Amino acid sequence: MNEPANPLAPEEAGGTTEHLDEMTCLLYAERQLDRARAQAVSAHAQDCAECRTLLRALDRESRLLTRAMLEEDEPLPSRLAEFQERARKSFGWIWGVVLGLAATGVYALYTGYVEPLQQRLEQAGFGGTSLLSLLVFQGAFWKGWQSMMTLFEVLAMVTVAGFGALIFRRRLRRGSAFALVLAGLCAALALPAPAGATEFHKGDTYELAKDQTVHSDLFITGARARIDGTVDGDVFFFGQSIDISGHVKGDAIVFAQSVRVSGQIDGNIRSATNNLNITGTVARNVLTFNETVNLDAAGKIGGSLTAMGQTVSVDGHLGRDLLDMGDETIISGTIEGEVRSKGRSMSIASTAQVAGPIHFEGEHEATVDSGAKLASPVQFTQEKRQSQYEQGHYYVWRIIWTAAFVLFGLVLFLLLPKFAAEVVSAGERVGAPIGLGVLVFFGVPIAALIAIVTVVGIPLSVLTVGVWLLALFCAEIVVGAVVGNWILGKPTDTWGLIGRMALGFVIVRIVYTPLAHVHVIGALVGLGIWIWGMGAIALALYNRLQPTMPQSVMPGPVPPVSLPPHTTVGGIQPA
Amino acid sequence: MSVPGMTETTEAVARARAGDAEAWGQIYREMGPAIFRFCRRALPTREDAEDATMEIFSKLWEGKLSQYDETRSFSAWLYRVAANHCWDILRRRKIRQDKETEDIDNVPLEHPDPNQLDRLIEQKTSEEVRHALDKLGARARMALVLRYYSDMSYDEIADALGVRRAFVGVVLLRARHELRQALEGKSALAAGGTS
Repeated sequence: MNEPANPLAPEEAGGTTEHLDEMTCLLYAERQLDRARAQAVSAHAQDCAECRTLLRALDRESRLLTRAMLEEDEPLPSRLAEFQERARKSFGWIWGVVLGLAATGVYALYTGYVEPLQQRLEQAGFGGTSLLSLLVFQGAFWKGWQSMMTLFEVLAMVTVAGFGALIFRRRLRRGSAFALVLAGLCAALALPAPAGATEFHKGDTYELAKDQTVHSDLFITGARARIDGTVDGDVFFFGQSIDISGHVKGDAIVFAQSVRVSGQIDGNIRSATNNLNITGTVARNVLTFNETVNLDAAGKIGGSLTAMGQTVSVDGHLGRDLLDMGDETIISGTIEGEVRSKGRSMSIASTAQVAGPIHFEGEHEATVDSGAKLASPVQFTQEKRQSQYEQGHYYVWRIIWTAAFVLFGLVLFLLLPKFAAEVVSAGERVGAPIGLGVLVFFGVPIAALIAIVTVVGIPLSVLTVGVWLLALFCAEIVVGAVVGNWILGKPTDTWGLIGRMALGFVIVRIVYTPLAHVHVIGALVGLGIWIWGMGAIALALYNRLQPTMPQSVMPGPVPPVSLPPHTTVGGIQPA
Repeated sequence: MSVPGMTETTEAVARARAGDAEAWGQIYREMGPAIFRFCRRALPTREDAEDATMEIFSKLWEGKLSQYDETRSFSAWLYRVAANHCWDILRRRKIRQDKETEDIDNVPLEHPDPNQLDRLIEQKTSEEVRHALDKLGARARMALVLRYYSDMSYDEIADALGVRRAFVGVVLLRARHELRQALEGKSALAAGGTS
């Protein structure tokens, strides 16, 4: 230990005195010396100007420290002021409401969207168990998607990242947190792809010659691709057009403008395209989202065809069911299973053969040419054009969705109270958030599209789009909070902000709901809300990422501060 | 130990221990702000201080208050609870810097020039000192806060920091040296050191 030297050395031979060391001076100033040593220090200081100066400086330093720490340079946070009251409240009922609303929301989502889709998919022959098992456990679908960053993975990552940020936010300075996130992102992108049987190709064009074989999965990004050879695994393609005239022993997962299949695919096709034209053979099922699907007269699908698009044309042979939702359905080939279709019109040519029942829901009855071989007449359901405003459940669902949004906002505001306040404050500036919102609303998807053309950019772009969608989802909540603030004035705490958000959101919904159905105006108002809300979020994020400026030092004399009654000022240790 | 800005609330404490919610509110109103400011000085960020203050009072509410010895000063006891809590937070985070964990016995302190020190103290404002305090290591800042904000005795500081009583003076002196370095660094920068 740096024990002080003898503080009170006697006079030296030369008549000079040894100065007191700083530790002794401090202990004297702090009244920590015993009486004898303190008296000796006092006596020394009377004759030694330098030590007197040191004692005085230490004493002033003590006072400066006390004064600096006692001055109230910042107000007491409001949440501490509320703490006492909140500590006495039971939050049980709030969480009860939260869980109840959440359960209602999940139920609404399931019955409104998942269950009907599940039923239709089952009817279309996709396994017949459940949507969950279809998505997760059935080999064909899962095999194709497991190599990619699925929506589930993205959501899981975002959730984990969010919780991680919440846990570590207090431990990291703003800059270092940002640097950490960037570094993590870069590391994730820089990491080599997991070792696996996948061959990657990136470039303008790709061609697999007729005599060539890829003994693994094939992952292609580029403008055009042509597969004349054989692929033992699955084919993944992201690009403009692909022509499969060879043999794919696995599945084809395709995101492209144009897809032409003239060869043979032993597995399934999962695609999101503009045009899908099948003149060859697909041994199993086809699931596609696009504008035009054409199963050519020479084409054959061993399983089912599920299509969501504008025009679906079946001229060839379909081994099982047809399920389609779109505008126009044309059947002139053979369908071994049943047909379920919803759209504007259906035409069945004289060459058509359908082994199962045909259900069609649309504006007009299906046109059936004479000569068509149908197992049973078309069961037609007239599409109901009753105004949704005349339906009671419309209002019930609006209320449920509004409550779900308010609940979502409540959770967000409680999780991130400071950031929520910053976002709402940014939103109140109107001009800046709208300007920035235009940039973010249009710019981010474009940037994501540009990033997606590279293999490395795909995860990044998916993540970016996920964040963008989340911001879009929150935009109306932000606008609601701003409106609530305008009506009720500035809140003093988080619960006040939540209350204003709820009120403002309900008002925005009430005003916007009828407007949404007015041509052009509805779209413009909705767009405005999105842009405004997203801009506010972006502006708050931007402000957060700005380096904080040091507070200017106020010149002038130190304001008088009353010292605590027992502040030490030096001298002998009190008895 | 005296506590700035606080009044003794022995009666309220007794009632609070008996389950009187109103007395609890009185204790919180009287001592909450001072404990928050203590935490604010001892911990790196305002958010940390807010959380710590709520955790300290939650501890009291959940039973810690029963450990209070009524024959002693409540405010002094509460400050010790707060000091221990803040020190635990810092220890858990392992943010004690190397200079705090290294064997400081072996690092000699330079004797200051009294006149230079006097001038430095003369020139500095409270705000500059607060900024400099934020730059100190956890132990140094905690020691200064315990001594010059909470006015704790050397024995109490030794107990709170888990060091020997004889070592407290050294800790405080080193903390002051750190503080001076931080103050001088800041003034050098302000004088034109932009690199």
